[in-house]
Amino acid sequence: MLSRRALLINLSTTALVGAVMARSRSVFAADKTITVGISLPFTGADAHDAELIKDGALLALDDANAKGGVAGYKINVMQLDSGTATAGQYDPAQAATNARKMVSDDSVIAAIGPQMSGSGKAMSPILSEGDLATITPSSTNPDITDPKFAGQYRPKGKAIYFRTVTTDAYQGPNMANYFADTLKVKSVYVLDDSGAYGVGLADAFQAQAKKRGITVLGRDRLDPKEADYTTTLTKMKGLGPDALYYGGVAQAGVKVIKQSYDIVPKIIKAGGDGVYGAEILSGAGFPAAEGWYATIAAPNVLDNPDAASFIQQFAKKYGKQPGNYSITAYDAALVILAAVASVAASGKDVTRSAVRDAIQQSHVKTLQGIVSFDANGDIENRVISVFQITKNDKYPLDDLLHQYKYVGVAPASS
Amino acid sequence: MSEYGVLLQQVINGLSLGAMYALLALGFTLVYGILELINFAHFNVFMVSSFIGMWTLEAVGISGQSHVLTGLALAGVLALAFAVTMLAGGVLGVAIERFSLRPLRKVRGPAAMITTIGVSYILFNVILLGVGAESKNYPNPMPVVRWQFGQVTLELREVLIWGITAVLMVALHLFVHRTRLGKAMRATAQDAEAAQMMGVDVDRVIVTAFFVGSALAGAAALIFGLYYNFTSFIIGYTAGLRAFTAAVLGGIGSVGGAMVGGLLIGLIESLGGQLIAVRWTDVIIFSILILVLVFVPSGLFGRATPTKS
Repeated sequence: MLSRRALLINLSTTALVGAVMARSRSVFAADKTITVGISLPFTGADAHDAELIKDGALLALDDANAKGGVAGYKINVMQLDSGTATAGQYDPAQAATNARKMVSDDSVIAAIGPQMSGSGKAMSPILSEGDLATITPSSTNPDITDPKFAGQYRPKGKAIYFRTVTTDAYQGPNMANYFADTLKVKSVYVLDDSGAYGVGLADAFQAQAKKRGITVLGRDRLDPKEADYTTTLTKMKGLGPDALYYGGVAQAGVKVIKQSYDIVPKIIKAGGDGVYGAEILSGAGFPAAEGWYATIAAPNVLDNPDAASFIQQFAKKYGKQPGNYSITAYDAALVILAAVASVAASGKDVTRSAVRDAIQQSHVKTLQGIVSFDANGDIENRVISVFQITKNDKYPLDDLLHQYKYVGVAPASS
Repeated sequence: MSEYGVLLQQVINGLSLGAMYALLALGFTLVYGILELINFAHFNVFMVSSFIGMWTLEAVGISGQSHVLTGLALAGVLALAFAVTMLAGGVLGVAIERFSLRPLRKVRGPAAMITTIGVSYILFNVILLGVGAESKNYPNPMPVVRWQFGQVTLELREVLIWGITAVLMVALHLFVHRTRLGKAMRATAQDAEAAQMMGVDVDRVIVTAFFVGSALAGAAALIFGLYYNFTSFIIGYTAGLRAFTAAVLGGIGSVGGAMVGGLLIGLIESLGGQLIAVRWTDVIIFSILILVLVFVPSGLFGRATPTKS
């Protein structure tokens, strides 16, 4: 072990030797640290939920550090903001810049994020070139891990985009099944918010809805920066659908919820995990948000007794309640920690490519159960949970845990 | 709903949108008429004002949409909110003129316009960093009152928007055409140097133009909040761009043109969205703008470019 003071002495005796040693300090593992990159949109409309995700991940990483690190390594966090003021929400161009930053720093051995699929599409090719694995706790667009698009999203071949949630290839269609089987919807109008996630989710939902005999009366694309959706919603009202399905995130979602409450108060309204968030509750508020259905692309762990201690710890540390994607982020961090431990145990150097290989082989017990990945990086456990926003006056009105009522699992297509 | 009913409903939506654009367009047009300056800070004076309106309503104890007032209490709260928001908007506009534009008055070229873009970004980031990025649930004391005419629904808040906009526009018209200061404004717009030689205090006229234009932006901002029940740091951009387009379409520098331009843009937006698709809204609006400018370069109601040295 070479301490900083020893290094200083070296420097003062022989400048040449000192300089060489300083340059190759990481090889000596003097500090024995590794870095986990976290890129999330802390600026803009997604900030609230980005914080919940970050807090979930940090809870696991801080815990590990408090116990002396993992396999002797202390974990640093490189936290980057992928939201910009110009976009007003997540910004794929900024996400790409962040990916380059992580790849160019050799100490970064794995990453957590991104929150949004639009960012994921921008980051994935860069991470692939750098052989750096990332685990997303919430981005669900299936294209990124689809082998059909491997040339585009992972040009070097190996999977580097892992998920602790499943994809919209299940989220959209399963909700369409839920519409047909449980909600008995006959006709639907579909909206998206022009983002990679929103368009993909709405497309997947729409295709399965048609297959299940639900009439799709129309499809419109909303500009998330626009304030007024009354035109679209009035057009929709004129067609008289039973239900509205919205594929997209909070920036447009808040306005869809508010304005559809005024124009079509009575129909069934639903969205994907973009409608599951604190931002939705605080921005749209009650009574507008009451009754909306939302899904998440993971099992509902918050009601699970195993999660009780996690929730308690989270609430104590951050003074707020976690969301389901705080849990998938926590799980993502656990997977990375386990991968580092297994690389170290095998006696190999903890490099990012070794960590990637270890993540690929993961069989880790987490809050949501055993996490393991297929060859593309997708999680093998594919559950879509359905929630309905139901006002609970006993808790803060932006408390995800208590204002979203779990109503069941959306059935997979047979 | 029948095709006809839907179209009529879209006309109502379009008029409400148009009323807001028109109020905002007046700010561009008043300043341009006098300084020949496009004031991009106006976008975010509108945005900042919407927050001031929100804080005013919160200060009198209204939060969310559950505190419903009626009768005199409602009128009092709304009057207070409009007064505070318009005053604050006006003062902000005057401050921008005084501290960032007046020192550049004698500088030729686009320096002043670029400065307004800079000021716009400062306001934008002050709100973003100071208030946060998430959409705010706008306090609204107005009861939800709906009237059903056949298949068409008319809401109280829409009637209020039209009423308030009409009152403000009539007041502006009277101010410009019936008062000494209004006359001085018109004189300055025609020829600032000559007006100055005739004893018009040009600085005062310019300050007035900024104050009135920004106060109208304040009114538009409060209307925006009460109509959509939300605000966020990002609302200035789309609304401001549409309003600016309305001012150009109507003939920038023309007060009547800004009103008509605003209503036209609102109607194009809602009817275009109905008959074609909302994702084409901007394409439709700007195509019409280009066509108008090709055939009537000074806009629908603009005077032919005055001779200026």
